Amino acid sequence: MTAINAMVYREAKIRATNLVFIFWDVFYPLGYMLVFGVGVNAALGSPLVGEGVDYNAFFLASVLGMASFGIASNTSWSFFLDRDNGIFFEMLTYPLSRSAYMLGKVLFTLLVSLVQTLITVALATVLFHIHLRWDRMPLLLSVMIVGTAGWFFLYAIFALSTRRNDIFNTVTSILYFVLLFASNLFYPLEPLPKWFRAAALANPITWQIDCLRWATIGVGNAQVVAMESIAFIVFAAASFLYAARCLQRQQ
Amino acid sequence: MTCALEVHNIVKTFGPVRAVDGLSFAVARGTIFGLLGPNGAGKSTTLKILTTLSRPTSGTASVLGFDVVKRPLDVRQRIVSIIQETAVDLLLSVRDNLLTFARFHQVDTRTAQRRAAQVMECFRFTAEAERKVQDLSGGFRRRVQVAKAFMVETPVLFLDEFSTGMDPLLKREVMALLRNEAHRGRTIVLTTQILSEAEELCQDILIIDHGRQVARGDLSALKLLAKEVYEVSMTFDQVPESIESELQTVPTLRARVENNTLEVAFKAPDGQVLEVVTALARNRRVLRLEVNGASLEDVFLELTQEEVKS
Repeated sequence: MTAINAMVYREAKIRATNLVFIFWDVFYPLGYMLVFGVGVNAALGSPLVGEGVDYNAFFLASVLGMASFGIASNTSWSFFLDRDNGIFFEMLTYPLSRSAYMLGKVLFTLLVSLVQTLITVALATVLFHIHLRWDRMPLLLSVMIVGTAGWFFLYAIFALSTRRNDIFNTVTSILYFVLLFASNLFYPLEPLPKWFRAAALANPITWQIDCLRWATIGVGNAQVVAMESIAFIVFAAASFLYAARCLQRQQ
Repeated sequence: MTCALEVHNIVKTFGPVRAVDGLSFAVARGTIFGLLGPNGAGKSTTLKILTTLSRPTSGTASVLGFDVVKRPLDVRQRIVSIIQETAVDLLLSVRDNLLTFARFHQVDTRTAQRRAAQVMECFRFTAEAERKVQDLSGGFRRRVQVAKAFMVETPVLFLDEFSTGMDPLLKREVMALLRNEAHRGRTIVLTTQILSEAEELCQDILIIDHGRQVARGDLSALKLLAKEVYEVSMTFDQVPESIESELQTVPTLRARVENNTLEVAFKAPDGQVLEVVTALARNRRVLRLEVNGASLEDVFLELTQEEVKS
């Protein structure tokens, strides 16, 4: 546990003493919420087709999902930072196991994610007067924890498998574009073409957003959400196992 | 008492390449052990195995009795490894680099801060304590990296080319620190290409080439391996034009002419060294002449060149 604490402390020191990271980790997804809240909500009017809620309420889960996805992407880039600084291999000789190295990084990411969740939820309530399901707050936090961990492990696979920063950045940009847009993050799926819906339903972002929407504003089918939760947990576990394997292979 | 390091017949292959090829050695506690060899000899690979970064293809290695493959965490708790490449947290300050490192080794905060102050003074970067390492020069970054080794008291310290980027003065100070650590019982394993460093520091030296042992022993034992090797330094008023062709008749290990001074190491049977020197000096004005026995560099060159020939 001491080794994991040291790892979390190190990650926190690096990110908390650099303003750029604080912006990307905490404030960037909030920008989406403010822009969409003012612009898109007014343009679309309410209630949103098929959902019975306005766009602000619909989009709250999306902001949380983007925060989860974005923070995981930002912090998994730290594998590259460690490698470019040369310290990656030296750290593997520190008194910590390779899994502690990975767990330390993911724990720190989860802490940032939880802070982000609390800020987003508070702003959504105060600025947009969204009626939250406070009784489902523990579920919301659980979804953010499992979701962020899952995305972090997925990104870690790419960060540990490729040695080049430019390839990693390209992969993450493509993932960001494809996964976020081919999902229910920006729009409800019902009015969309059948092939698009099929692609979106196979996308783990959709699973996470459905869970988040159910946990924040109560929209969604409980059975579907339960199935998607299980699917996401399996996805996160598989990503973890593969990322751990990639880390073990480093020498 | 167990040795600090025990290596039995380790082999490490990368595809068809045998980077380490059946290496065996043991290192006593509290010694400064030098692992020497030319580029690609297998030094860093051996160090990577001993520091648990890499697994041997076959053979066993242990640090303070802990097998590097079966008990890697126990090994890591007892070592500090300063790798060849500069390795620092660029986005942290100098002080935070030291404190973070100490935290990994479970040094309590107060002790860590006291040691950080001492180490920064010793390595002469107290004025830069709060600056981020990314704003410092390459040499500075290397100093921060090496300084970390003195933040903790692990019994074994691995240093891969530790003096890279250090000015001569600081290098001497770090060497004195390393000797002091060894006196206190710490085992220090270093690799270096700068043989004068090994000559000054190491009590026990292993020379490897192509992943195999070429020679082993303390400095005097190694010098015996090259007992017919001499180093001659000769300063002329003017370097003779024919010197290069004349040297071709001598079995030289290395030769260099700089500022009218010829420095040559050669192999000659006992008693014949004066003949070589006389031949080189004949009919010339020699301002200074120095004849020495073999240095570690000569031993190293002779042994590794023999290896190449064989």
